[in-house]
Amino acid sequence: MKKKIIAFLCAFSLAAGVFAGCGQNQEQTAQTSGVSDEKVQEGLQESTKDEVIVTMPTTSEPESGFDPAYGWGAGEHVHEPLIQSTLTVTNQDLEIGLDLATDYHVSEDGLTWTVTIRDDVKFTDGEPLTAEDVAFTYNNCKEKSSVNDFTMLEEAVATDNTTVEFRMTRPYSIWPYTMAVVGIVPEHAYDENYGQNPIGSGRYIMKQWDRGQQVIFEANPEYYGEAPKMKKVTVLFMEEDAALAAAMSGQVDVAHTAASYSDQQIEGYELFRVDTVDNRGFNLPCVEPQEKDGITYGNAFTADVRVRRAINIGIDRQEMIDNVLNGYGTAAYSVCDKMPWYNEDCEVAYDPEEAVRILEEAGWKEGSDGIREKDGVKAEFTLMFSTGDSVRQALAEDTANQLRELGICVTTEGVGWDVAYDRAQSDPLMWGWGAHTPMELYNIYHTLSDSGIGMAGYSPYANEAVDQYMDQALAAGSLEESYELWKKAQWDGTTGITQEGDIPWIWLCNVDHLYFVRDGLQIADQKIHPHGHGWSIINNVDQWNWE
Amino acid sequence: MKFFNRRQRMMIGIFFSIAFLVIVCVLGNLNTEAARVTDFSRKNLAPCSSYIFGTDWLGRDMLARTLKGLSMSILIGVVSAAVSAVVALVLGIAAATLGKTADSIISFVIDLIMGVPHILLLILISVALGKGLKGVVIGVALTHWPSLARLIRAEVIQLKESPYIQISAKLGKSRWYIARKHMLPHLLPQFLVGLVLLFPHAILHESSVTFLGFGLSTEQPAIGIILSEAMKYLVTGKWWLALFPGILLVVTVIMFYVLGESLRKLLDPNSVHQ
Repeated sequence: MKKKIIAFLCAFSLAAGVFAGCGQNQEQTAQTSGVSDEKVQEGLQESTKDEVIVTMPTTSEPESGFDPAYGWGAGEHVHEPLIQSTLTVTNQDLEIGLDLATDYHVSEDGLTWTVTIRDDVKFTDGEPLTAEDVAFTYNNCKEKSSVNDFTMLEEAVATDNTTVEFRMTRPYSIWPYTMAVVGIVPEHAYDENYGQNPIGSGRYIMKQWDRGQQVIFEANPEYYGEAPKMKKVTVLFMEEDAALAAAMSGQVDVAHTAASYSDQQIEGYELFRVDTVDNRGFNLPCVEPQEKDGITYGNAFTADVRVRRAINIGIDRQEMIDNVLNGYGTAAYSVCDKMPWYNEDCEVAYDPEEAVRILEEAGWKEGSDGIREKDGVKAEFTLMFSTGDSVRQALAEDTANQLRELGICVTTEGVGWDVAYDRAQSDPLMWGWGAHTPMELYNIYHTLSDSGIGMAGYSPYANEAVDQYMDQALAAGSLEESYELWKKAQWDGTTGITQEGDIPWIWLCNVDHLYFVRDGLQIADQKIHPHGHGWSIINNVDQWNWE
Repeated sequence: MKFFNRRQRMMIGIFFSIAFLVIVCVLGNLNTEAARVTDFSRKNLAPCSSYIFGTDWLGRDMLARTLKGLSMSILIGVVSAAVSAVVALVLGIAAATLGKTADSIISFVIDLIMGVPHILLLILISVALGKGLKGVVIGVALTHWPSLARLIRAEVIQLKESPYIQISAKLGKSRWYIARKHMLPHLLPQFLVGLVLLFPHAILHESSVTFLGFGLSTEQPAIGIILSEAMKYLVTGKWWLALFPGILLVVTVIMFYVLGESLRKLLDPNSVHQ
């Protein structure tokens, strides 16, 4: 009995101690949280001057760091590299302006680009930026880059302190667009860890990078151009739902968001939309099925050009934008809408009767189940979309619904990118494209003689005339000349990739980039955003200001 | 409860759970088409009289999707649990009858697989087989047999010592004959119960692996897909997308559990006459 009493007492005192401890802790946390609240308040007041917090999708975080050779700025999603400066820049109208370069010109044969650069630019470590650094940057990109194509570059050579020569393997008239996204790195401070500790001469210095969470940029006090108005830029990486929650709790100034959240009202925030060339569309393989190396190329149904034409005018793009994007988008008719090299002949009007007429004329007759068929081939295909992308899934579903009206049976299927590229050679896939360079047209429509079945890389298609125009465009003497040729590649009056031409891809819409922006923050005018809902928004963060 | 004795209550439990599962399966398969139809004119509707589970952002009827998803889950559960059970039975009996070496090898494999968390192994197998229905079924089947195999092995070892088996062996009957004629009938009740109790595990694991994105493809109305899609819209207040499918998943799992427990009580000689 005695033992039991002692045990009980022990237990009691222990428990009392534990609870007492709890009480203290709670008080402490209450106190500290009070303090931090005040700090947050102060922080908010300060942030109304020259700081901004922006969210981006987690996929925007550069995995290999802020190194142009591994895709920073010059990767799949092009944007201005902020930390480094570039030789040229793209202007508001997406033509070329100058940054580091003071002048550039190309030789008659198109094989040598000579660029002179400013002599007053210093890296943030105090060393001057010379033509040597420029040459080093480009040679390094050529050697290492796996995300961007530098095969047209033979080598870059610094001929004196402020002149650099790019020797090309083939004429490449749109080289200034490449120069607009490759940030110049310092040769003396470049090693394999450069991506983690980037040094540049750009508007901002990378202060801190917490992998998987945030990057903090501070304005470069020595910047040679106009001093950035925003002194500190914090980028947080999170999913759309987390960004929405962060905006709701007032933790961020700019939160990226999707059309499906656009109907949310957040107090103190306004929805901000940016025009884009971030398009969605699907490929239609243009040849009869054939197999090579285990991959099927072509599709028996979409090989008929009249089928592709009927699909192109049989889709009501506006209905799709209203339904899927809540109206936040514009109809797309090409991979490069609104770009200087866009040919307006790509545009078509929605005309379901004409679509049906074309199908009837081509011999695709409706069967007993309402699905058309011709010579035993059913009017059907599988439309794939990348798993987990709700916008592409919705577009695919809506396409299926709309084409069903024409008597075409479309089944949708979610696939991973590991198999999508190969399967897209025979089945349509919902893609997203859009970049600030005409090279995109080349990548999609130009044939590649040494890969696959010698047709265009992403979906079987070949047209000699289109190829020729694009080759001529690359060999053109000036950008203006090349724009005309890029336009002709789309439609020259007799052939091309438009409705009257071969129409190997159907473009549906350009997805507006949407952001919740805190009241009082003035976001500077945005260029048309390319594909990728990430870094483009802060291309000109240096010019933002608080009211 | 006073109106029925325990046995009757068990029978009622079995009846209800089987009825529920059959109804879900039948309705699910009747709704195959409805579960996939998208209609943007009715998107994001809260539960109402025509769509009692509401609709999602593609205007799909959540009731049809939930039922189809559950019936797919049940199908996957049944197939993979059955395969698991057969593997368990064969290996369990083999371990116990084939002698020391076979026993230690099989025991080692059982321990090895039980040592790795189910979900991890399941994800590995599913991804290696290219995901999809095949990946999930094979994944679940290959990960769920060890516990049942161990149970059967223990039972067989116990049986081997019992007099009638010993006598049978002394009489010169072959091992195969003994296993088939004497052991199997004895093991069957336990085996059946174990099989039924594997279903809820299999279903939950199927939905979790799909939820995590390593299972069925996203255009299919699987319950894991429904739940993971719903996660994105919870923040905008669309509670119905996750609530009803979630509840029905839990109910389905409980029904299988009730079925298994009731069967066990009815088949177990110790409790059958209570």
